[in-house]
Amino acid sequence: MGVKSVENMDRLYWLGRYSERVYTTLKLYGVRFDSMLEEGIEGYDEFCHSLEIPNIYTSAEDFRQKYPFGQEDPNSIYSNLKRAYDNAIELREEIGSETLAYIQLAVYGLNKAAKSESPMIEFQNILDDILAFWGIVDDQIEDEDTRNIIKVGKRVERIDLYARSGIDRDSMIREVHRLCGRIDRCSLHYNKGVLEHLKELIASEKLDYPAIVREIERILEV
Amino acid sequence: MTETLNMDLYARTDTVNELLARYGVKFGIYKNGTFREQLFPFDSVPRVIAKEEFAYLERGLKQRVTALNLFLKDIYNEKKILKDKVVPEEFIYASSGYLAQCEGVVPPKGVYSHISGIDLVLGKDGVWYILEDNLRVPSGASYPMIARELCRRSSPRTFQSISIADNRNYADLLKKTLDYVNTGGLTVVMTPGRYNAAYFEHSYLAERMHEPLVTYNDLVVENDHLYFVGYDGKKEQVGAVYRRISDEYLDPMNFNRESVIGVPHIFDIYRKGNVALVNAPGNGVADDKGIYYFVPKMIKYYLGEEPILHNAPTYLPYYDADMEYVLDKFDNLVLKDVAEAGGYGVVFGSKMSAKEKEDFIALLKKEPRRFIAQEVIDFCDLPILEKEGTVDRKADLRAFVLSGEKPVVWKSGLTRFSRNPDSFIVNSSQGGGFKDTWVLNQ
Repeated sequence: MGVKSVENMDRLYWLGRYSERVYTTLKLYGVRFDSMLEEGIEGYDEFCHSLEIPNIYTSAEDFRQKYPFGQEDPNSIYSNLKRAYDNAIELREEIGSETLAYIQLAVYGLNKAAKSESPMIEFQNILDDILAFWGIVDDQIEDEDTRNIIKVGKRVERIDLYARSGIDRDSMIREVHRLCGRIDRCSLHYNKGVLEHLKELIASEKLDYPAIVREIERILEV
Repeated sequence: MTETLNMDLYARTDTVNELLARYGVKFGIYKNGTFREQLFPFDSVPRVIAKEEFAYLERGLKQRVTALNLFLKDIYNEKKILKDKVVPEEFIYASSGYLAQCEGVVPPKGVYSHISGIDLVLGKDGVWYILEDNLRVPSGASYPMIARELCRRSSPRTFQSISIADNRNYADLLKKTLDYVNTGGLTVVMTPGRYNAAYFEHSYLAERMHEPLVTYNDLVVENDHLYFVGYDGKKEQVGAVYRRISDEYLDPMNFNRESVIGVPHIFDIYRKGNVALVNAPGNGVADDKGIYYFVPKMIKYYLGEEPILHNAPTYLPYYDADMEYVLDKFDNLVLKDVAEAGGYGVVFGSKMSAKEKEDFIALLKKEPRRFIAQEVIDFCDLPILEKEGTVDRKADLRAFVLSGEKPVVWKSGLTRFSRNPDSFIVNSSQGGGFKDTWVLNQ
């Protein structure tokens, strides 16, 4: 497809970001969910702190319910998946019905998980849907620019989340390099100075995570 | 054999519905001020139309749409049909669909109703009756189109063994129609946005035609031409707009001045012939429920032919003789408010209480132009699948006629059915479902 509207460029980018946010937070939540199975462990405060989201939860049970499924909680996985869906649904002609279907399936999966006694099983299906979504983006979207905008969104979000959760240095270096290799291959305008600064930040022995978060958040500020 | 094969498809109704859900085949609905997306329930028992029967419908539909296109051209230009008193003037100028702004305008290639959705029912007497013409932004073709794809996937045996006209060409036919009137440049599908009831259809047709889906924000008029503005500010000329937005919101400079949506001056350049708007603005004057009464007369007037397809017996309380008949046979008639659509404003005389009847008749006498009355057609039920087996329900058919160089009738249609055993209302917004429409090849 030729010319893209401003709105669609924005939607593609945010579709990439929110799909990644759902994927990574779901995985992080899975780890936390497991550790919270033993009574008395209330590690959700640390979880909220690491992702810099407000701890609005009153108990471990409240967290277990609201963080994945809370419709009123803007930081819940539900809200992030809904945002991914809201962007995807307006991109059908750009990404295709087959691609959109995987985001739709993830939404159904989360609704199913909310009613399940074993939500982790349903979460695995959602992770599979998102992985399939990324796979089909590569496989079926003909327009390279479209593919790359989604992927840039995904990379930006991953760096952001990795920095917030204090990921190891090697993983961070890998993600920044992936972004560098992708961002010039799409028509998004971005701040080249920010990218250079990110490269400098990952070159240092001890990573300055707050600085990485600050920088990645302004990558599209031009 | 056919029945056995059909049973294979019927057994897969849930599979088809799951696939429809997977692809987000939904419609939007506002209830109590809240927007919701809802799946459109599909029933896998198709409406089957024999080849010869469809050939008859095809002739009748082409004839009707040809006459309606001639009527629109006449109404906004010479007005011969008014001068010859075939249609009373007040039915034109009092119609909310009539747009004075369209006076003297001839759209590119002279086509007004490029996509016509004609609603029909099959009476128990074996006669097809036209219920209404939709010439503004008729919706619904995408549903049987995608359902066919998914039915073929779910039950290949059925389609291997029965020769059915392929209906998955709708987007190609539509694209051809749009290309025919394109004045030069891109063709775009213009949607009011995802909170429109038919948003799925807008986006799906754009996808299948490989054309951009745009909103008013993406378009701008400059130097008497329309442009699609891209991310870099790059502009690409647009020659045809398949707009799924009603006339009043198309252009705030020419229609609803209080509207915050629409493309300023798009109508001005349309008037100059620099862009095709599909369907043409002002078509509402020809699909007004009051004008429906006159369509058989139009066919005779413009084409010198007898109408092939019949209207449901209709009365206009505007005429004294008809008013007398309506009051006399009130309990046997269905009354329709000409300003309403989507199954709203439809009341059955037999279902009114004495007080409701008294109030309605007072209103009818006060505003006779506002209503039409029709005989209640005893139309054929179609079987639908329920848990306990098949049950019969009321169903209609929306046929699609695409008018480019020549009118083409799509070999399928949207069959909508009522899920309520006591209801004649088949609209999706009122809980109805849909079926595929099979036109047999032999």
